Amino acid sequence: MTVLVAVPDSPEGVAALAAAAAEAASLGTDLVAVNLALTPLDISAIPAATKVTVVERHGRPDRDPVDAVLADVEEYGAVRLVIGIKRRTPVGKAILGSVSQRLLLNSPVPVLAVKLNELE
Amino acid sequence: MAHTTTPASNAEHPALPADTPGPHSRRLGLIAVIATFGGLLFGYDTGVINGALAPMKDDLGLSSFTEGFVVSILIFGAALGALAGGRLSDQYGRRHNIIVLAAVFGLGTLGCVLAPTWQVLAVFRFVLGLAVGGASATVPVYLAEVSPYERRGSVVTRNEVMIVSGQFAAFVINAVIFNLWGDHDGVWRWMLLVAVLPAIALFVGMLRMPESPRWLSSQGRDDEAHAVLRQIRSAERADAEMAEVRALALEEQEAQTGGWTDLAVPWIRRLIFVGIGLGVFQQFTGINSIMYYGSQLLEDAGFTAKAAVLGNTLFGLASVLGISVGIVVMNKIDRRVMLLGGFTLTTLFHLLVGISALVLPDGSVKPYVILAFAVLFVFSMQGTIGPLVWLLLAEIFPLKIRSFAMGVCVFCLWLANASVAFGFPPVVDAIGIAPTFFIFAGLGGLALIFIATSVPETRGLTLEEFEDSFKARHTPQENHS
Repeated sequence: MTVLVAVPDSPEGVAALAAAAAEAASLGTDLVAVNLALTPLDISAIPAATKVTVVERHGRPDRDPVDAVLADVEEYGAVRLVIGIKRRTPVGKAILGSVSQRLLLNSPVPVLAVKLNELE
Repeated sequence: MAHTTTPASNAEHPALPADTPGPHSRRLGLIAVIATFGGLLFGYDTGVINGALAPMKDDLGLSSFTEGFVVSILIFGAALGALAGGRLSDQYGRRHNIIVLAAVFGLGTLGCVLAPTWQVLAVFRFVLGLAVGGASATVPVYLAEVSPYERRGSVVTRNEVMIVSGQFAAFVINAVIFNLWGDHDGVWRWMLLVAVLPAIALFVGMLRMPESPRWLSSQGRDDEAHAVLRQIRSAERADAEMAEVRALALEEQEAQTGGWTDLAVPWIRRLIFVGIGLGVFQQFTGINSIMYYGSQLLEDAGFTAKAAVLGNTLFGLASVLGISVGIVVMNKIDRRVMLLGGFTLTTLFHLLVGISALVLPDGSVKPYVILAFAVLFVFSMQGTIGPLVWLLLAEIFPLKIRSFAMGVCVFCLWLANASVAFGFPPVVDAIGIAPTFFIFAGLGGLALIFIATSVPETRGLTLEEFEDSFKARHTPQENHS
């Protein structure tokens, strides 16, 4: 059993990673962090008690982050997927698409969606 | 100028035994000579139009619009050819790709030579463009992949020199043919036909050359890769180098990780905009308006047709000398300083060409003054901005998105090249030489602002140091609990 978190290079990614660590602790499972950023993932904020595996995207088959995450959900037998979400403009969605939306709709396991509190 | 430089590698080089000379050195030397015919063809086919254009216009009845169309359609073809060429050479291999390209070069050339109308000419110029773009994406990669790492840099820059040498050769051959047989209507067809010779040399030569060992390894064909290494390295070096070849093949796959969705990250997006800006402003110097229309320009300035074609060879010479100097000084001066200096010089010479065309009385001095300033422009551009933009494109992107990012930037660079090639004749026709060069000077001013405000310094930094500092500067600081 494991909780799997998708961590993009953004504040939502940091929030998702923290929420996923808490979720793993409460379920008593391991944590698999899929690093969607192009640079190394900082996991120093995760409590030492939680066992973390960082998975990187490798090569062309992982170019689409949604494919990469869904393949890892299957490979690691995750019971929960954690993602960070934020408000997007229609233009931004039209140009770049929405990774969160596709993960929500296509994930075979329940998804925990974390958002930043925009007022703070 | 447009061609791809192979990205600097991050891979470590564990003490490999020195590559002692032997029969394999001659084999490697031969490979380099044969493959650079691809660069020579690139240069010849882009340069030959300059000089062929004047007789072609009379023979086929071109207007300034169809003139720009016939010239620029090759560059549009090259933009597509560069995209497709990279994919095809990953799929079917470098050697296979170069052989196919040599055939396309030959086919395109013959089609242009025999074209009865400008429409048919345009179709085959497009075909030639596909080959030019494909060569730009394949030849430097092949050269880098067969060379031992000690010589990788010099072999790849040799290809850059070959491209401008191809243009220079085209200018000289144009000048000779035009001055001997300029009275014949179809003289331009003979100028184009010369390009068949290097295409045949490339085709026949590459049939006897081996596939890239790194590509073979990326296809899981390590035995064949090793056999190739045995041909082009000393025996013990070949055995020791296999590990490096495998590591570099993996690194190459790693470089194809990132794509469109990664543009959601602000600092990555910004870096790609910087790359696009560099490529576009490199072309907006108007270097290729000289390389494609130099003879026309000199005729407009007051030279006779035959003198213009002769004077044009100086542009080719300045280009070769400029690149040769640029390659030597490139790593001794900070990138930003060299870019700012380069654009300052090119903008200055644009202004001087424009002012000379505007204020000097028509007569014996004016064409020579314009020629001198335009030659100085070409030399300053090719000595600084030309090679430096390619170097920057190869080194500013994080490994994981390098393939995608370079593809986007090089595509935009080709499109900018094509739009200058397309627009130059009608604009000169409509407003004259002087205002056209003032437009280039204005674009140069914008380029200076862009570089001063947006282009980061990379010289003396490792890729990781550069990424960390750029990311820190261009990540929005948000407060979140």
